Amino acid sequence: MKRVLAALSVGASILLAACGGSNTGTGGSPSATAGTPVPPAAALQGTGATFPAPFYDAARFAYNLKYSQVTVNYNPLGSGAGISALTKKVVDFGASDVPMNATELTAAGGADAVVQIASTLGTESLAYNLSGVASGQLKLTPKTIAGIFLGTIKNWNDPALAADNRGVSLPNQAISVVHRSDGSGTTYIFTDYLSTVSADWKSKVGKGKSVSWPVGQGAKGNEAVATTVKQTPGAIGYVELAYVIQTNMTQASLQNHDGSFVIPSPEGATAAASQFLAINPTQFSIVDAPGKTSAPISGYSWLMLYKDQADKTKGTALVDYLDWLVTDGQQYAVNVHYSKLPANIVKDDIISLKTVTSGGSTLLNVPAPS
Amino acid sequence: MSRGTAERVVPTPLVAASRQRRLVSGDRLFRVIAYGAAGLIILIAAIFVIALVVPALPAITKFGLGFFTSRVWDPVRNQFGALAPIYGTLVTSAIALVIAFPIGLGAALFLADDARLQLLRGPLSFLIELLAGIPSVVIGLWAFFTLTPLMRDKVDPFLSHILGFLPLFKGTASGYGFLTAGLVLGIMVLPIMIALSRDVIRAVPRELREASLALGATNAETTWSVILPYARVGITGAVLLSLGRALGETIAVTMVIGNTMQISASLFATGYTLPSVIANEFTEANGNLYLGSLFYLGVVLVLITIVVNVLARLLIWRFSGSARAAA
Repeated sequence: MKRVLAALSVGASILLAACGGSNTGTGGSPSATAGTPVPPAAALQGTGATFPAPFYDAARFAYNLKYSQVTVNYNPLGSGAGISALTKKVVDFGASDVPMNATELTAAGGADAVVQIASTLGTESLAYNLSGVASGQLKLTPKTIAGIFLGTIKNWNDPALAADNRGVSLPNQAISVVHRSDGSGTTYIFTDYLSTVSADWKSKVGKGKSVSWPVGQGAKGNEAVATTVKQTPGAIGYVELAYVIQTNMTQASLQNHDGSFVIPSPEGATAAASQFLAINPTQFSIVDAPGKTSAPISGYSWLMLYKDQADKTKGTALVDYLDWLVTDGQQYAVNVHYSKLPANIVKDDIISLKTVTSGGSTLLNVPAPS
Repeated sequence: MSRGTAERVVPTPLVAASRQRRLVSGDRLFRVIAYGAAGLIILIAAIFVIALVVPALPAITKFGLGFFTSRVWDPVRNQFGALAPIYGTLVTSAIALVIAFPIGLGAALFLADDARLQLLRGPLSFLIELLAGIPSVVIGLWAFFTLTPLMRDKVDPFLSHILGFLPLFKGTASGYGFLTAGLVLGIMVLPIMIALSRDVIRAVPRELREASLALGATNAETTWSVILPYARVGITGAVLLSLGRALGETIAVTMVIGNTMQISASLFATGYTLPSVIANEFTEANGNLYLGSLFYLGVVLVLITIVVNVLARLLIWRFSGSARAAA
């Protein structure tokens, strides 16, 4: 037994030495930005929103390749779980599609205790299943979208739909509305959009991560909504753009605030976001954005961390990771069909991250963005 | 002889005493373990109830018993009522039993009857155990991808063609809804129903069966008036366990019921069940009242299970009571 232990410890020290060697190698590589010190070794824990999870996974993997001494774990349990896990301090950062509100901040120790930064930008599509109507052929206006989801437009041959779709033969078929059954940021952004463009929706239903749907059936998660739409003739549902692209679904062309019809795309989301310069955790809605190319159903996703970090080493690694995530890390968002953050938001994020301290000293030592 | 006996008896009390001491200490140990295990069950149940009721308190104080009769579930306006998911839970479980009871009992009678088709029994038992071992998420996925289109295109139109005069089978079928969910539940509880019923039917004394046959009763008569009455209590237990599984099943139901907060007479309509609501909305529920209402749904589910169990026990008690009186 003793001999086995000895052998193990020798093995472990060899392994450690090997790791140490590779650390200095990557740390000293020219890819490290000038002025950015190498982050200390740490294991960071995060949990929260499912919507940006593919991006966070790609990003944390890339970051670990760059700085192997830092591992980042992300557990996509939902935005609510992200907020409560951060509040209970069982994670180092939380993620949510909707920033923490006043009540949640009070529970977490007050509005000044938590730093919230926008991490990525996404947009939603309306996917449909109509034989003979190709992707992008179906044109929907804010009015018809609200009508369909309120249940006032029940059939695909409704005159209101026909008026916007001359030249497209819409069948005499009942509309099956599919929505999310689980609470989700995707639903929040979609109902935020409907509340913005339709007074009827705002007064009858309102916005939230779960709402009382007037019509339709629920499916759990983006994948299930996508699949239900795909296998139900006459169905329509709101789905995260990434899923629409990955599963090759037919999606509607949406009329935006300026009256032009756009097919949702990552560029459309960036265009929409650039219309709103002052975004913060209390004013964060970017739905129904003006601008010719803006995708109308877009929104940010957020990351939360405590302003005062108890563990200085961990805190330093955390802010370094997040600083990288909103700058260099943004390239990994595009790969999974999310959009790069606009420059003004990146700047706001870095300014916010520079307020994070441990024992009174600032943890992020990068020059303040101008 | 007496000497010999005496010689042999002399050491015996000594041996017996030490052995007895060992046995007594073993007894004591066993008693501690058994009592501890029993106590632990009570403790777990108590912790479970407290952990469920305490977070539900905000909703219990706000909505009270009105929670059971309100069909509004509006997280935006913080108005919650459990009537729709209670209805969905009861309806889908009832459908499951309507499907699983006759099929399960028939299969159990076949498997327990050791006279015929010996060759089939082994493979069939194996298949049933296999079915019991399939995770519910796999059954749910199969139902979601395969069963819902089949229900929409074939089964539901057929039912509405034949039985369309009943309100149960009216309306357009999307493939999702009470009927599909009930069918999936029926398939899922079938192994429990079969395995338990088979065992209680096998436990019917051979003499009873043989006596009945010897008196000239046919196989069907023997089954009907000897085997089933004898095994009734055990079969009711099988039904109860099946029902418990059906009431609490979550993932597979969520995938096919349509998750709509509504009450409809038509089995083709989409609906909701108590566990599905909890599974769907728990992760993103914010605010004490919303979260409390989800816990309250859990309390309701436990209450339903208790009520169903008590009713079944009363039923058994009554049945066996009247049977004894008749005898």
